[in-house]
Amino acid sequence: MLILISILLLFVTALALLVLRITRPEFRFAWLAALSGTVLAWLTVLLWQTQLPSSITLPAWQPASLFAASPGLSADGLAWPYAFALATLAAAILLTSSVREDFPNPLVWAVEISVCGIGLMAVTAANPLTLALVWAALDLLELVVMLRASKDSGTSERAVIAFSTRAAGIILLLLANAIGAAAGKPVDFSSAPPQAGLLLLAAAGLRLGVLPLHLPYRSESSLRRGLETMLRLTAAASSLILLARIPTASLESPVTPLLLILSAVAAVYGGWMWMRAPDELTGLPYWMIGLASLATASALFGNPTGTASWGIALILSGGALFVSSLQQTWLNRALWIGAWALSSLPLSLTAAGWQNNTSGWGFFLPLFLTAQAFIMAGFVRHAMRPSTRAPLSTQPVWAKMVYPAGIGLLLLIQFILGFAGWDGAFAIGAIPAAIAASLLTLGLLWAAPRFPFLNPVRAHWIQPTVTSRLDQFYQNLWVFYRWLGRLTQSISNVLEGDGGIMWTLLFLIFFVLLITQRKP
Amino acid sequence: MSAPTLWILLPILVGSFTLLLLRERTVAVIGGGTSLVLAGIALIVPIDEALRIGPLSLKIASTASILGRSFILPPTDAPLLVIIFGMCALWFFGAEAAGVALRLIPLGLIITALLVASIAVQPFLYAALLIELAVMTAVPLLLPSNQKPGRGVIRFLVYQTLAMPFLLFAGWLLAGVEASPGDLALTVQSTSMLGLGFVFLLAIFPLYTWIPQLMEESSPYAVGFLLWLLPTIASIFGMSFLDRYAWLRTSPGVLAGLRGIGLLMLISGGLWAAFQRKLERLMAYTAIAETGFILLALSLTTAGSLDLFFLLIIPRGLGLAVWALALSVLKKENGALEFSSAQGLARAYPLASAALVLAALSTAGFPLLAGFPPRLALWQGLAGESIGTAIWFLVGILGLLTGAVRMMAVLVMQKEETNWALKESWIQRGMLSIGIIGLFLLGIFPQIMRPFLESLPLMFQHLGR
Repeated sequence: MLILISILLLFVTALALLVLRITRPEFRFAWLAALSGTVLAWLTVLLWQTQLPSSITLPAWQPASLFAASPGLSADGLAWPYAFALATLAAAILLTSSVREDFPNPLVWAVEISVCGIGLMAVTAANPLTLALVWAALDLLELVVMLRASKDSGTSERAVIAFSTRAAGIILLLLANAIGAAAGKPVDFSSAPPQAGLLLLAAAGLRLGVLPLHLPYRSESSLRRGLETMLRLTAAASSLILLARIPTASLESPVTPLLLILSAVAAVYGGWMWMRAPDELTGLPYWMIGLASLATASALFGNPTGTASWGIALILSGGALFVSSLQQTWLNRALWIGAWALSSLPLSLTAAGWQNNTSGWGFFLPLFLTAQAFIMAGFVRHAMRPSTRAPLSTQPVWAKMVYPAGIGLLLLIQFILGFAGWDGAFAIGAIPAAIAASLLTLGLLWAAPRFPFLNPVRAHWIQPTVTSRLDQFYQNLWVFYRWLGRLTQSISNVLEGDGGIMWTLLFLIFFVLLITQRKP
Repeated sequence: MSAPTLWILLPILVGSFTLLLLRERTVAVIGGGTSLVLAGIALIVPIDEALRIGPLSLKIASTASILGRSFILPPTDAPLLVIIFGMCALWFFGAEAAGVALRLIPLGLIITALLVASIAVQPFLYAALLIELAVMTAVPLLLPSNQKPGRGVIRFLVYQTLAMPFLLFAGWLLAGVEASPGDLALTVQSTSMLGLGFVFLLAIFPLYTWIPQLMEESSPYAVGFLLWLLPTIASIFGMSFLDRYAWLRTSPGVLAGLRGIGLLMLISGGLWAAFQRKLERLMAYTAIAETGFILLALSLTTAGSLDLFFLLIIPRGLGLAVWALALSVLKKENGALEFSSAQGLARAYPLASAALVLAALSTAGFPLLAGFPPRLALWQGLAGESIGTAIWFLVGILGLLTGAVRMMAVLVMQKEETNWALKESWIQRGMLSIGIIGLFLLGIFPQIMRPFLESLPLMFQHLGR
């Protein structure tokens, strides 16, 4: 029941903000109302701990003979930290919004809170059907937000591409469901046939919100720090929870090593690009690629707790960094807690990250540890780049109190989750791996000022002069698509033209021949 | 009072009366109200049973004789009447917003009544004649008096008319098969004739070329109404054949044929939808794919196939209504509906554009929308019987999804920077909003259709058991 209360609290708050905006645009306490609703929801999520595991069955889809599953929500030791992380992120974004240029902006807060509500539904989805429904809701909401924010056709196009990429993820999830049905065993989070498991993995990958890399938000950093952070991290959480839920047995396949190699390459690429990104907002997609790849690796090694630990770190550590928009010495230092959370050292948030129970680990470990070091080094670099930010001291007195509370909340929660509250808490983990990653990180931080190739890449708005292979691939795909389009157009012209009737008669003859050849 | 009088004669009389009226709103209120009342009566008042209201006793007899023929609407048909007239009310109330109330409502009521009569008539072969009458009545609906008939209207009339002799001939042959079931040649001939009849009637590939042509020539709303009603009734008519002849419904060849044709419709409709450059034609190919879903549902060998068939009807009707209304609004305001001229229309007509995109996504089975639950059940059902069919099903769905995404991209990609506006009229906003809410409601809570659907399979004595 508490699950429903938390979610309803968030949606009611968002609705109240919308109604207030329409009926009383001058209402002065919208921020307070938004924060109160979110904090209440946050407290109720905290209270889930008293009832774990718990589940809610929503009204069943009828007729039961056609629907093997019905929507439902359930919270357990893996769903709870995700839900808590999302609620914390929403509260932190509202607290830190007090220093942004667009303050107050009730419409944006309503969207942020709604996204958090949908995110809670996603991480507590009891089966693939519920997850597909929640994913669709998230996609539609994000599409509307992005289209509202877009100013030109290019950004609108990218919004549609992002939507279609995620829709492809939903299709893969449903395909996994169909394959389960073909095997006579509907896919759920406790069992799935091997082919279905790999499809679930691909679905989660497509839906991480990484593609396209640069989503069309306005250049105002206020929107990017608040709304974009909420949307993208929630999208990631809603996908990563699937990784943690995929039954381990369904991932045992001959292609698993190949997937591990791909994950390793993606992790190194994401970490490298993140470390060299000009600023943290530009590097956000790479942050997600890097950590999601580590989460995928954990899933492939049959370590759902490890998957969840990387996912929660993605939200909490990333959240703390992305919502930080002002310079304050102590806050900058406090952000080191985020680096510690990523370190996989004992009792840290990601301590369970390198625990594994599958053989063949040693061969891939160096690659993943390198990626982890890139991510940590990048985190520290972005956290320690205060010169580009305005000082906190210029803000009003109340904002000086509230803003650090937002950042502090995110840092405090990742610290606490290292010790208690979920399946991966109080873990010692793989100490040698954690030490290796940490030493490599220190090495990278030492080397960064000394070696130019470790420094930020040029700004992404400079067009590359050479067409990349990926662009070439897209062009070839486009040529094939247009060829297919011309083919269908030609067939249509033939059938709809003057000779169409003759073709139809020919078809009829074939049809009759076909029928008369077989027994009814 | 008899059921055929109420649900066949009365709509014809009201339809004929509204032909005389000149105000769109009056016609919409009368037509929509009549349909709603007829749906309500079918829902509340039992057929062939006395209903006591205080001292009054009301009984609707199931049988009536009109022009020497028996028309029977038994109690098991009542849920279908609720759905048909309920959906008609939706279409008719929306007709004013689409600007076609003066033509659609009078002729639509008459067409609906004729098609209901085709379900009720005994001997059931007379249904073919009544369907033909409905098709002929549809011509003035599609063609304003000042417009010359285009290729689409002519082909529509020709192909639908060609269905009739094949069906009648098949009926005659089937009587022979009943008498001598061992006569293989006769069985093959009758199956061929029946197949040809339904190939024309349901506009099976490639006999559906009139649909995209008609969509371009006529009002999208009027065509949408026909694309909803005609295949629905034709399918039920076809199911009555399956129900009546045991050898037909148990024949693996017939089921395989249904599945093959269903896949062909879905894949061809989906593929063509993916490459269209006109919004009307996109809707046409989607409607074609919808027929594919119906045939695939009927091809399932599981007991739930009939449930699935009926589960498809309401989302299909709602999706087409929303799509057709949105298209009519855009056509009325913008004129041309080629992709090149529809670019950025979402900025000026956000509600119509949203309705268009959501209806397209619903047809493609996007979660949260009305089309999703039946497609999910169908996909699982097909996968349970053949994984190959399930993969081809996916191909069709991907085509539909591509078409929807392309349309979305066109509608939101403005040529120059323009601000958002809401240019739809109040009535258009109201009807489109109701449609959009309906799409979401049916997508999230498909069980709300259950009360209307659960007793529908009882219409058939053998099918689905």
